[in-house]
Amino acid sequence: MSHSQKSDLFLLDQERTTWHDETLWFVRQKRDKAVYAVPEFQELRQLASDIKDHTLSRLHFYLQQFEENARRNGVHVHWAADADEHNRIVLDIIRSQGATRVVKSKSMLTEECHLNPHLIQHGVEVIDTDLGERIIQLRDEAPSHVVLPAIHLKKEDVGETFWQHLGTEKGLTDPQQLTEAARQHLREKFLAGEVAISGVNFAVAETGSVVVCTNEGNADLGVNLARVHIACMGMEKLIPRLSDLGVFTRLLTRSATGQPVTTYTSHFTRPAEGKEMHVVIVDNGRTKQLGRPDFRASLKCIRCGACMNTCPVYRRSGGHSYDFTIPGPIGAILSPNIDMKRHASLPFASTLCGSCTDVCPVKIDIHTQLYKWRQVLGQAGELPASKKWSMKLLSRVLARPGIFGAGGKMARHGLRFLPHGLTHAPGYNPWAIARELPAPPKQSFREWHAQTVK
Amino acid sequence: MTSREKILAAVRANQPYETPLPDVPDFGGDSSLDRFTAVLQGIGGQVVEVADAARLDEVVRHLYPTARTVAAEVISATVAVTPETPIETLAAVDLAVLRGEFGVAENGAVWLPGANMLHRALPVVSQHLALVLRRADIVATMHQAYARLGSVDSYGIFLAGPSKTADIEQSLVIGAHGARSLTVFLV
Repeated sequence: MSHSQKSDLFLLDQERTTWHDETLWFVRQKRDKAVYAVPEFQELRQLASDIKDHTLSRLHFYLQQFEENARRNGVHVHWAADADEHNRIVLDIIRSQGATRVVKSKSMLTEECHLNPHLIQHGVEVIDTDLGERIIQLRDEAPSHVVLPAIHLKKEDVGETFWQHLGTEKGLTDPQQLTEAARQHLREKFLAGEVAISGVNFAVAETGSVVVCTNEGNADLGVNLARVHIACMGMEKLIPRLSDLGVFTRLLTRSATGQPVTTYTSHFTRPAEGKEMHVVIVDNGRTKQLGRPDFRASLKCIRCGACMNTCPVYRRSGGHSYDFTIPGPIGAILSPNIDMKRHASLPFASTLCGSCTDVCPVKIDIHTQLYKWRQVLGQAGELPASKKWSMKLLSRVLARPGIFGAGGKMARHGLRFLPHGLTHAPGYNPWAIARELPAPPKQSFREWHAQTVK
Repeated sequence: MTSREKILAAVRANQPYETPLPDVPDFGGDSSLDRFTAVLQGIGGQVVEVADAARLDEVVRHLYPTARTVAAEVISATVAVTPETPIETLAAVDLAVLRGEFGVAENGAVWLPGANMLHRALPVVSQHLALVLRRADIVATMHQAYARLGSVDSYGIFLAGPSKTADIEQSLVIGAHGARSLTVFLV
């Protein structure tokens, strides 16, 4: 199904769509407030962009520097070319420990690799411990936002899910009480966890450390109670210096939720005495994206979700309509790199208004890349027939002033005399499904110009 | 060829021409105690000024009258916690009182290195957390914070306020998985 078809399903519930739209816009407004309070914010964006550009331009060096320093710190470093290899490596580590109970904090990469089903299939219990992630795990759904994974749900849905799975009272909808129930349930899992998996927000090449940012504290709780920590990272998470974290920690949460910083910004350099730490560096299409000059800037993304919160299309279509691990504008430029045919409709899920580019903390030219993907898709023959042929027809009309003028005249008269049911028929005028055509003017601009300007 | 070699070869082949790594300026900023206090309170933390450091023990007990199991480095503890402490003992801790190294005024964060945690899980497993901070130890921004750190040898957290979540309908709830409350005692 295309993005627009999936959006139709989301839009069936009008009240919820409006709530979704307004809630995310509220997050965008919180972001603005936090951003305007930092006078040097625009300078920080430029610095972040330059640091990421530089890192990508010397990625070969920084990957090895990180590996060397991490090893020196007693951390095991693994390399995975694709999702399958990543999943294999993680399962091997878990098995080598004889472990079956895994707690996991938020990681979009492990979602991308479909790690959970792989582990479960091999007899490992894997519990997502971020509250939003746990909710959708219990419901067997995918996250619909990179920062707010359960933003598509209402508290009534969560109450229902907890009633079914955690034995809470039926009809419970108070977020405070629901969160408390999840806290009790997940505490047991934390205390019993043998291996903890985390994502990585930043990997510092000069120190070999990984940095994980959470508000709930679930990464620290999981990692520090378990025997083994496995940190899974996309190779683009690298930054050169510890001091670069000053730039990125100031940008990340302000852009994401409008908070000045996450509650926990945790730096893992060495495992605790007697424990183990592993880092899995994953490619899974990233080197390919690095080789596409028009699209490599998408690898600068720090997963703040600001482009989603601001996007008029995302807000009104929901994360699931994108059918990709990373939804929203950034997902729409990352996904065709992974599977162009399957995600061909995503670069069109945009008005090209550029709001995503304006809020991006690392200055990715998101809307320009959306436009460029459309060209690539057109050339690769991935456009739907209706779009392809209507564009061909339109380009012929626009290239011939005579036909254009006659067509305009026909439309002006037609609109006046044809019945409303025909001109607004949803079958061939989808534009008019939720809109009224304007009243046709008496004459065209060209006619007016010829008359007036002698 | 191993995956490592394959990946590195692909990176080498595909990475663009080198662009410069910029220097990050200091940017200055407000490093006042007032600012730190206001921001920390704004994110759900509590700040208590302790006029007489010798009475810290008393002030803490007064604020947490119901805390029975207290793990602490800076005041007298009711339970001894070390890196070898079993999980069941850690899970029963009501209050942990630890030494913070310095605070960051712009976001209310306190640097808590692993060496000050008694056990790495303690600050998150404890039901409540108190950090003791010297009032002179405040920096303005994260730039100055990292400059002051220089390095992170094993483990450490910039900890800003109590554990929280807004994953259910964006309603803010304090006390997700980590500490249900955070108090900074200024000495």
